Amino acid sequence: MHIPDGYLSPTTCVALYAAATPFWYVAGTRIKKTLSMRMVPLLSVFAAFSFIIMMFNLPLPGGTTGHATGAALAAIVLGPWAAVISVSIALVIQAVFFGDGGILAIGANSFTMAIVGVFVAHYTYRIIAGKTAVSASRRVVAAAFAGYLSINAAAFVTAVLFGIQPLFFTDSNGAPLYAPYTLDIAIPAMMIGHLGIAGFAELIVTAGVVGYLQKNDISLLSMSDVGTPIVAGTLQSGLRSARTLWLIIAGLLVLTPLGLIAAGTAWGEWGATELVAQDGGKTLTNAPTGLLQYANVWKAPVPDYAVSFVSSEQLGYILSGVMGVGLIIITMLLVTYIGARISRRNEHTNP
Amino acid sequence: MDALFTLNNIRYDYANTAQPALHDVSMTIMRGQRVAIMGANGSGKSTLLRILDGLYFPKSGTITAFGEPLDEHHLMDDTYAHAFRKRVAFVFQNPDVQLFNPTVYDEVAFGPLQMRWDKEKIARSVAETLDMLEISHLRDRAPHRLSGGEKKRVAIASVLILDPEVILLDEPTAALDPKSQSMVVDFLVGWANSGKTIVTATHDLDTVPDIADDAYIFQQGTIVAHDTPANLLQNHELLLAANLIHAHHHHHDGVPHTHPHFHLGHEHDHSGEI
Amino acid sequence: MGGEAHHGKRRGNFIQRTIDSLAETLERSLYAEQFAEERGILQRLDPRVKLVAVLGFIICSAASRNLPVVGAIALVAVVLALLSRIPFTSLTPVWIGMFVFSGLIAGPAIFLTPGPSLATLPWLGWHVSSYGLRSAALLILRSEVSITFSVLLVMTTPWIHVMKSMRVVGVPTTVVVILGMTYRYIFLMLQSASDMFEARQSRVIGKLSDSDARRLASATVGVLLSKSFQLSNDVYLAMQSRGFRGEVYTLDEFRLGQNDYIAIPLIFTIFVSGIWFGLV
Repeated sequence: MHIPDGYLSPTTCVALYAAATPFWYVAGTRIKKTLSMRMVPLLSVFAAFSFIIMMFNLPLPGGTTGHATGAALAAIVLGPWAAVISVSIALVIQAVFFGDGGILAIGANSFTMAIVGVFVAHYTYRIIAGKTAVSASRRVVAAAFAGYLSINAAAFVTAVLFGIQPLFFTDSNGAPLYAPYTLDIAIPAMMIGHLGIAGFAELIVTAGVVGYLQKNDISLLSMSDVGTPIVAGTLQSGLRSARTLWLIIAGLLVLTPLGLIAAGTAWGEWGATELVAQDGGKTLTNAPTGLLQYANVWKAPVPDYAVSFVSSEQLGYILSGVMGVGLIIITMLLVTYIGARISRRNEHTNP
Repeated sequence: MDALFTLNNIRYDYANTAQPALHDVSMTIMRGQRVAIMGANGSGKSTLLRILDGLYFPKSGTITAFGEPLDEHHLMDDTYAHAFRKRVAFVFQNPDVQLFNPTVYDEVAFGPLQMRWDKEKIARSVAETLDMLEISHLRDRAPHRLSGGEKKRVAIASVLILDPEVILLDEPTAALDPKSQSMVVDFLVGWANSGKTIVTATHDLDTVPDIADDAYIFQQGTIVAHDTPANLLQNHELLLAANLIHAHHHHHDGVPHTHPHFHLGHEHDHSGEI
Repeated sequence: MGGEAHHGKRRGNFIQRTIDSLAETLERSLYAEQFAEERGILQRLDPRVKLVAVLGFIICSAASRNLPVVGAIALVAVVLALLSRIPFTSLTPVWIGMFVFSGLIAGPAIFLTPGPSLATLPWLGWHVSSYGLRSAALLILRSEVSITFSVLLVMTTPWIHVMKSMRVVGVPTTVVVILGMTYRYIFLMLQSASDMFEARQSRVIGKLSDSDARRLASATVGVLLSKSFQLSNDVYLAMQSRGFRGEVYTLDEFRLGQNDYIAIPLIFTIFVSGIWFGLV
């Protein structure tokens, strides 16, 4: 989903602009180098294309409809760097001119959909497609996974962003100032919808279009494979700077919660631990039991979330926040690592 | 009269086709000449225009423009490139390709901005050019809110603002209503009277006598005829072979009868459209 | 909202639905431009001033820890809409849409957030938490304030001016140019997609099955993708032909006027007091 304004604190929004900026910068310089003068028209036309895809409503199995973000498709066809820029620009236009997603949240939405979504799709596709021919049916499967995982990764990061809001941003009574649900509710609530429905919209569009292009315009699929200028960063060439970026991002993510705690205290906000001390957990006990059970149902898909909903263990909240964030970093580093191994193997086998 | 373009044995291939798009093309275009390049779709006339505009570079053969070789190397140089782009203008067949700016004003100002004219000169020239083509009222319009004829006028304005010496037109009357067609033709006739060079690629034979005094017929990537428009248009056999007209079969009193048939401006090429 | 799902009532009529949403986008842009020509208060301001003001007010409402301050900023938005002759009929759908969306999300928080109980729901026995109520109200009000300001900006300013004015907040010129071209080609592609669907619809008898609809959507996206490449190559040639050398330049003919000089201190005062009172 596109995060509207008001769901994330301004600090979070600034942090995500800061996190997205190095990606935009690297993408900009890389594309400029590979595409040179072609950059402006190509990115413009593809940003328009990304925008249009987001408008296609698909009937999904099970009687619902949903639409794709196109991030996975853009990553497969354009290569990750050009996709980062095209999808981000489409998001800017949606936010500013169509009120779809907040303006302060542009950084956050770009980070989740245009950066996390694009890179997860890119590596998933590359890993599954392996060395198969561009026309291989395995590529359709790879595209399907890329689409499904890409939107779910984006949703997961969004859920984490939502979930950490009540940990750090509460008023003097401890009532949340922004997105009100903690990780143990935000994550299942977001993921059920995306794992179950929206993921399939992305899956269908990504796999469907890759299948269509294999039959009708295969040159588009080999563009980001053969090393023609459009690539703007296949594994081999993009890896080194990509890894540096992931490390920066990992650092940022780890530091963000810590920074937020510091900022929280500095603003005279009750730090999470202070809250426990002063409050003694008294006000935290009157959530209705019916809803508690519901919360437990939501928790089921993530059994490792040991922090129960109103446990009053505020430290536990922070831990789970850090855990969620850490999970993302580990996943990204793992995927990058596997990607690196595969590309090295490819380099050896076909020089 | 001096030669503006000299082409010698030009060949051009597209990456994914076996047939060359152009081969064995030699021609000379003189200053002030009005040239028509006639041919069916796929005969290579659009490719030729792109070569004349320094957008494509021939795989073999040579081309000189304004007495200097026109090649990738020369066009790398900013000074040369700017001088060449200012002198040669190209009106693309598909106005949606030509009009890439968000408003008419930005569109017409695009060329001068690239040439780094100062702001006042740009403002003045844009106003004059819009006025000349009678489109001042469209100044702040977005291109998707223009009619076909308006788009074509804006496209012409956007290249004329640089006051080029040569204008290359790809199917300028295609997909236009009759009124807009005659507007375009009238404009070209008037503009050429000021000593400018016009090269028009077209399969709209009706307009050829008005806009050209020299004509080529292209077929499968090469020149099959070169003569005055009047002579070429009388050679029905040739036009038929080049797919510029098609035979019309019908019966007169039970006797099968075949004669060549002109198409009056409704044969539109949509291949470049999105 | 990307990725959300609806239980479609008009299921099976996939083509019609897509055409409708494409057409709606087109119409919305034309509609927005009408108010840009009205003689209201926002229309008289320099787009750069407007953009910065809108951003400032959105930041105020986001940074405020205080519900009345967010309410006051909402009031500023409503007054500005009135003074800019934006009819409420064009704002209410936006408000209702956002209310429904945010309300669905914020609703459970009223009961889930720990805090003093205000009332208890009959039957269910759920407690309405006063903190939860406040949190929900903040969330909804903030999202409404933000969307209202962004709608006011695009309704009172030609789109291209909004884009060009983004340079004052640090958006690079290249991005501004790309945004302008993107905007321009969105409409071409909307038209193109809509034509494709219409052509297809004229050949469809009865309802399209879901799997056919998905196949059709994939094929349409595929065709659009192929055309996009062709288009971007041709546009590149057209740009080169007119002297484009890779560097982009834009004209911005913005000049601060008398109205702006009056507005700037006012906006600044509202911003500073919003931030000040919001943090108290």
